[in-house]
Amino acid sequence: MTRPDKKISRYNPKHTAVVAVLGVVLAVFVVMPLVALLCKIDDKAWQTVFSGGQFGTALLNSLVTTLTATVISVLLAFALAWAISRTAIRCKELFSTLFVLPMLIPSISHGLGLINLYGNNGLLTLLFGTQSHLYGYVGIIYGSVLYSFPVAYLMFVDILRYEDSTVYDAADVLGISKWRQFVHITLPYLKKTLISVFFTVFTLIITDYGVPIAVGGKVKTLSVLLYENAVGQLDYSAGAVIGLFLLIPAVAACLIDFFNKSTDKVSFVTKQFSTDKQRVRDGLGYTVCALASVLVLSVILPFLVQAFTVSYPTDMHFTLQHFTDTLAGHNGWYFLLNSVLMALLTAFVGMATSFLVAYCTARLRTPLTKALHAISLLSLAIPGLVLGLSYIIVFKASFLYGTLTLLILANTVHFFASPYQILYNALLKVNVNLESVGQVLNVPRYRIVTDCIMPQCRSSLAEAFSYFFVNSMMTISAVAFLSTNDNQPLSLLINQFESYNMIECATVVALLILTVNVLMKTAIYFVKKRAAHA
Amino acid sequence: MGVLMNNEQTVKLSVQHLTKHYDNEGANAIEDISFDVFDGEFLSILGPSGCGKSTVIKILIGLLAPTSGRIFKDGQDITDWKISKRGMGIVFQNYALFENMTVRQNIEFALRLNKETKPTAKAVTDDLLDKFNLTEHADKKPSNLSGGQQQRVAIARTLAMKPDLILFDEPMSALDASTRLELCSEIKRVQREFHTTIVYITHDQEEAFSLSDRIMVMSTAQIRQLGTPQEIINHPADDYVKSFVCDNLAKKIDSLNAIVGGGNDKA
Repeated sequence: MTRPDKKISRYNPKHTAVVAVLGVVLAVFVVMPLVALLCKIDDKAWQTVFSGGQFGTALLNSLVTTLTATVISVLLAFALAWAISRTAIRCKELFSTLFVLPMLIPSISHGLGLINLYGNNGLLTLLFGTQSHLYGYVGIIYGSVLYSFPVAYLMFVDILRYEDSTVYDAADVLGISKWRQFVHITLPYLKKTLISVFFTVFTLIITDYGVPIAVGGKVKTLSVLLYENAVGQLDYSAGAVIGLFLLIPAVAACLIDFFNKSTDKVSFVTKQFSTDKQRVRDGLGYTVCALASVLVLSVILPFLVQAFTVSYPTDMHFTLQHFTDTLAGHNGWYFLLNSVLMALLTAFVGMATSFLVAYCTARLRTPLTKALHAISLLSLAIPGLVLGLSYIIVFKASFLYGTLTLLILANTVHFFASPYQILYNALLKVNVNLESVGQVLNVPRYRIVTDCIMPQCRSSLAEAFSYFFVNSMMTISAVAFLSTNDNQPLSLLINQFESYNMIECATVVALLILTVNVLMKTAIYFVKKRAAHA
Repeated sequence: MGVLMNNEQTVKLSVQHLTKHYDNEGANAIEDISFDVFDGEFLSILGPSGCGKSTVIKILIGLLAPTSGRIFKDGQDITDWKISKRGMGIVFQNYALFENMTVRQNIEFALRLNKETKPTAKAVTDDLLDKFNLTEHADKKPSNLSGGQQQRVAIARTLAMKPDLILFDEPMSALDASTRLELCSEIKRVQREFHTTIVYITHDQEEAFSLSDRIMVMSTAQIRQLGTPQEIINHPADDYVKSFVCDNLAKKIDSLNAIVGGGNDKA
């Protein structure tokens, strides 16, 4: 009697081994640098940070600006999401595209845009002959709102799309007022998302140094203090102490998101909202959307004007000189290609890694699956600045330092959690029995994955690719610590040009990044459209 | 109704003292169950949700390992065999079709990967498409088919690998009443035409009684009765079998009579 040698056990040992290896790799690149960061902190570092008095002020500044900007950003985003999902206004696609444009340029560009408008020589400042009040709290809050509201908007739009309208129909029949419907139906439905949005936006703003460094003036925030200590003075220990404080809200946001996982977002909608025309409601929708569009365009359009005019706003003659200066004179071509290469490689590596990990956590039953899932989400809790600092502490002495590989690695880890979640959710939706069918039909698992599962996840894979690419193109956080003069990404030139008062060149860089990212988003839009019709 | 059973029939599958215990559950999912399936037989495993019938089928195909007990097929102990070596096929309740492939590709995919030549794979696929009235749908994706058509594709795909025993895991749960009737006769036809042995999981008494040569009634991890439909109707082993099977069937028949009678009255 022949007896095939393979034994069945509750957990497939090969699967457990793959999950264990992935877990170790992620732990090495996510957890180990954080441990190294914590180990770097000594008594002297605490003294350095706390003795100057700068820390307390920076902490207070961070809290004031972040809390204010978060509240404004969340309210604005909710109003926009409501207008898009619950009114019958026209041009919704156009508005939605405009609202997410700020996500395609580095945060520091928003500061730059505000300087163009409200700075000492800004268009509006000169037009009205007033004094600029931009630099300081106002600038940081204004820029942070611009930078963060698109993220909140996308989260709100997503949850509002899944709300069932039947309950509102029932409330109408019962004669419950719209206001009470909002308080007793909408708000409870959105409660978990609201908390999640609030913490995500709070973390995004408090860990960003781009906006405050551009328009903060004398108001210094924690992230700027960290940047100055670690990048400016190369005092990594002091940077590590500040990084620890930036980790707190980020970890809190991550934990809240983890334990707050939506039971409120159902996978089906009994009845979608039908939006019949209503003059007052739609008028309000148009007003909110128009206001936000003006906010976004007022920052981005001047880039175009400034990049193509001799000396904005005093000499408005058309020129391409700023492009020539930036691309040829300051070696911009080299850095642009370097950025695109880095973003493309990050997108490929990131998409492949996040798919592999998501496949393991979503579709393999092993005793280590939950741990791998938790480590994968942990990267969400590490701000880019802190990650960059951790990586420089760990890799400064290694052969990886100064290489493109390290930048790709840092970006992959930095942006890992969101694409991972997208792919994890997509893989959970694929029929659970496909691999079993493969086993019965004697089809190797990898063929089931490549031939059946990946094509079904094409849209999510494209989304993951785009997420890694766009964010790698515009990031200024982790890469600020890890790049050298030879391999620095284009985005870092903005800060450099700005510090030399070469505003036109900085504008050209922002425009180039925006163009590349818009092209990528457009390509992904068509890929997803094709996938939907396939 | 099916083949007359007698002592001369060959045993295709023999299940001996099968027990399954899940770590996170106190009670056993199945408790020391033994039964035989004869060659060419249609055996239904009938029971309510959670009685352990799906666990049995998963262990038979090899997706779950038993805590104890052995499974013999054609006299060979296959308890530890790889799934693909067992010569069994399975049709899942949710079809598990390859959504990105056409009907033809769904059937051909495994054949090509199992090193069938292209002409052979095509010939087998064409034959199955024809036998299941799917030729006109060959180039459609599963999402463009009805539930019944999708289930027929799933059966055809399973048959392409020429299994000598097919397991059906509640294949009609997601279908409407008229499609169920249609598919019932389709499955019987498959059994006759392909001379296949079938183990069929269901919680529906009508399905079990209309399709099976023998029925195995299960509850709470154990076999309550194994016999032909007539034996179960005429001599239920205990109160549970009587209530779950016979009384439920009787109620359904009464309801049908009432509906038909009501209709006649109105007419």
